[in-house]
Amino acid sequence: MKDFLHSDLALSCRGVEKSLGGRRILQGIDLEVCPAEIVSLLGASGSGKTTLLRIIAGLMMPDAGRIAMRGAEVWSPTRAVPPERRRIGMVFQDYALWPHMTVEGNLAFGLRAQHLPAAEVKARIDHAIDVARLGPQRDCLPAALSGGQQQRVAIARCLAARPQLMLFDEPLSNLDAALREDLRTEMMDLVRREGITVVYVTHDQAEAMAVSNRIAVMREGQIAQLDTPQRLYDAPATPFVASFIGGFTLLPGRAAPEGFHPVGSALMGLTCGGAGPFVLVIRPEDARPAALHPGTCLSGTVRACAFQGRCWRISIQVGAFLLRLDWPEPVEPGSDLNFSLPPERCTLIAA
Amino acid sequence: MTLISQQGATGTPRGADIAIGGTGAVSGRLRYMIGTLPIYALFFVLIGLPLLTVLAQSVMPALFDPVAPSFVIDPSPLFRAFASVRVDTAILHSLELGAAVGVTSTILGGVFAILTQRFVLPLRWLITPVPWLVFLTPAYLKAMAWVLMMAPNGYLAQLGLLSRPMSDAFFGIGGLVFVHTLSLFPLSAFIIGGALAGLGGDVEDAARLAGARPLRIWLRINLPLLAPALALSAIATFAEVLSDFGLATTIAKTSGFGVLTYGIYVAASDYPIDFPMAGAQSLILLALILTVVMADRLLRRQGSFRLISGRSRTARVYDTGRARWPMALAALLIAVLALYLPMVIIFLRTFTATLGHGLETSNFTMLNVIGALSPGAPASAALVRSLVYATFTALISAGIALILSARLDQAGPNARAVVMGLSIGSIAIPGIVLGFGYILVWNRLPGFRDWPFPHYGQPSLLVVGYVATALPYCLVVILSAVGQLAPSLDDAARLHGATRLTRLLRITLPLVLLSVVTALLLTFIRTMFELPVSQLLIPQNGSPVPTYVVRLLKNDDDGPASALALVAMVTAGGLAGGLWRVAQRFLTFGGRAAKRTSL
Repeated sequence: MKDFLHSDLALSCRGVEKSLGGRRILQGIDLEVCPAEIVSLLGASGSGKTTLLRIIAGLMMPDAGRIAMRGAEVWSPTRAVPPERRRIGMVFQDYALWPHMTVEGNLAFGLRAQHLPAAEVKARIDHAIDVARLGPQRDCLPAALSGGQQQRVAIARCLAARPQLMLFDEPLSNLDAALREDLRTEMMDLVRREGITVVYVTHDQAEAMAVSNRIAVMREGQIAQLDTPQRLYDAPATPFVASFIGGFTLLPGRAAPEGFHPVGSALMGLTCGGAGPFVLVIRPEDARPAALHPGTCLSGTVRACAFQGRCWRISIQVGAFLLRLDWPEPVEPGSDLNFSLPPERCTLIAA
Repeated sequence: MTLISQQGATGTPRGADIAIGGTGAVSGRLRYMIGTLPIYALFFVLIGLPLLTVLAQSVMPALFDPVAPSFVIDPSPLFRAFASVRVDTAILHSLELGAAVGVTSTILGGVFAILTQRFVLPLRWLITPVPWLVFLTPAYLKAMAWVLMMAPNGYLAQLGLLSRPMSDAFFGIGGLVFVHTLSLFPLSAFIIGGALAGLGGDVEDAARLAGARPLRIWLRINLPLLAPALALSAIATFAEVLSDFGLATTIAKTSGFGVLTYGIYVAASDYPIDFPMAGAQSLILLALILTVVMADRLLRRQGSFRLISGRSRTARVYDTGRARWPMALAALLIAVLALYLPMVIIFLRTFTATLGHGLETSNFTMLNVIGALSPGAPASAALVRSLVYATFTALISAGIALILSARLDQAGPNARAVVMGLSIGSIAIPGIVLGFGYILVWNRLPGFRDWPFPHYGQPSLLVVGYVATALPYCLVVILSAVGQLAPSLDDAARLHGATRLTRLLRITLPLVLLSVVTALLLTFIRTMFELPVSQLLIPQNGSPVPTYVVRLLKNDDDGPASALALVAMVTAGGLAGGLWRVAQRFLTFGGRAAKRTSL
């Protein structure tokens, strides 16, 4: 961890705490974001991700902790820079376009509020409208735009303000599924090209994986793991993170020197250096025929089988647990199936 | 007073946890105080103090004794009131009338709401604007029209449609229930119609797929879900009748059907003036209203409305084929009785010399209208005065409400809920009680009595009284509008570096301006015809329209009364309607993004 006030950090949060109505929403949040990096806050509703975002924006006050941007403190128990002076852009879930102003008016509002020279205002608006491809809509009111266009206006409005940091609050959740992926790609291209630092809130792990350099998985007001998408996928730090990512299923058991005893199944030749209750993380795509890895074999009864295009997704009951596997051929529900897992792909996590 | 269910504005997270320079709980509390103190102070002076004085007067009969004022608490006026047959009868009459109209108005309003919202109706354009127009027409004008029709020598008798016994029956509880119901059914239709719209089509579609037929769906699904709205409608109309003064001073008075509000008016303003008695009757009326408002609160706390969200799809509209014509006629009949017929009667009476000669050709004349329009005539002077008072009242009330709403934004969401509750509570206070309180404060209370502006007997005090009755309405309308704005609109402006003032002027104000204008115009119309406060605070320089109309009626000058009422309605309605059209044209912004989206 770098020094808290290091100027190479676009954002750093230390020990941020927040309680609302007696409930602890955030508990000792530490977070560092480097310039031009895109960090996602990923979690279920109520995990505190939106609260953290609003605290970073200054729209909400933490109870304790410190927050700095580019080496300048913006919040501490003795000092608070108001949101209007933090130079933060935010793309809201509902976009928050001012409905009585045209697209250009929306872009110009913040710039004029900062008393920028007219030429500068015009140049910035032209650039933002250009990169967001909003030329034809320049004089439209927001109500006349499509959902995708409204989103581009919201982003262009932030770009024109040249913020130090841009916050995205579930910006895709109001769009239908078909649009989402296209707009996500377009939106992140735009942000990357402009080299902007982003904190992105979402509850959709696929979205988080697609947009982020790093992901902070949040649970009950804490960051359960902060890592790159690949690391989260390959080495989830806790059973919670593993269960939240990639459709993984967990098989509980006990680790011992001779191997791993899944509850209700035969011993598997896996060691992890620890002993006691552990869970085995099973990624669906890791399932192999039983003969391939005889030391890490499991067997169970197939409960359901659904065609997925490249493979069949099966639910298999192993002992008392339902696991998800991808299998190259269909299996009749009710029949027994033996399968194995490549030992190098097996992750054991202390339960 | 009107108790319309107000949803949406309270409890929104707007302004929650606002962050400004200073931190910590102390500055938050200070900001809350700065934001809300002027509001509480204003409410206290305009409404709280007059009300308190009325209550004090009711238990301290010698409080304003000109000879030996004293603070001795003595409940004897209350005993005297309960011992008086006249007061006891008035209480019973008020309750009887309220209970009857609560039922009839709910039935009529419910039928009207279902007919207009759930059925394909021809002639819709003649039917749908009716509730709003009826709602804006003062009760005493509708009463005047019905008296002109139902009197022994009235229009219906002249046409041979009305026998003497029928006419006599009208001037009693029967006629009062009839006119009250036609006058208050819009309130029920708004409440029940709102719940119907919120009900949406999903629950009904689910019942249809489960094999239920329409009648069964209505009895087993829709009616139980509408039950809270029906109860609220009955409660609201009951309270409306209790505090009504317009019918109390016209039909009820003619029929010798004494009610509480008229009793207060007589005790407070007719010789021999008996303030302690007026206070005691006010206390009784307030206690009854308070019970009703509590019942309303209790009902709403059960949260039955929360189940009915605005998010479900629109409900199915039944097309009954040929049967839609009788249905349209039924709705049209309500519209005719409640609005069109009374207006036609006022129109006819305006252009005829005497009631007795009815529609004879020789009876038609322009004299009444000329009297109402010629400069310098008492009627036209009243009209000009009322236009001026109403303009001032509308500007002041809407202006204050806007400033207070903006201040509330600093104070956080709890303050909004409190002020919203305070406003709705103030709306429930009968105008006659408030007017009596104004007499006590500004004619008797030391300090206020000698205050030069506003001063008792001057137009200034009448306008202050008007503002007191209008301000809660304006606050409810404007606070609701502010609460409807998505909080993110303001947040976004903050993040773009806009100061509080810039945000207020450039973001909030333009988006709520249509509501501000609406509040202003509604206040203007209501004030033009406000009766109880006008009656008690008539300025020495002359009557405004409502009191002048009532005085003309009292002297059986119903021709000039109709003419003045008609001219005032056309002037005020035309002005307000025209302005609203212009405002609506320029102040709507597609609306979609302005509405709060549920997060």
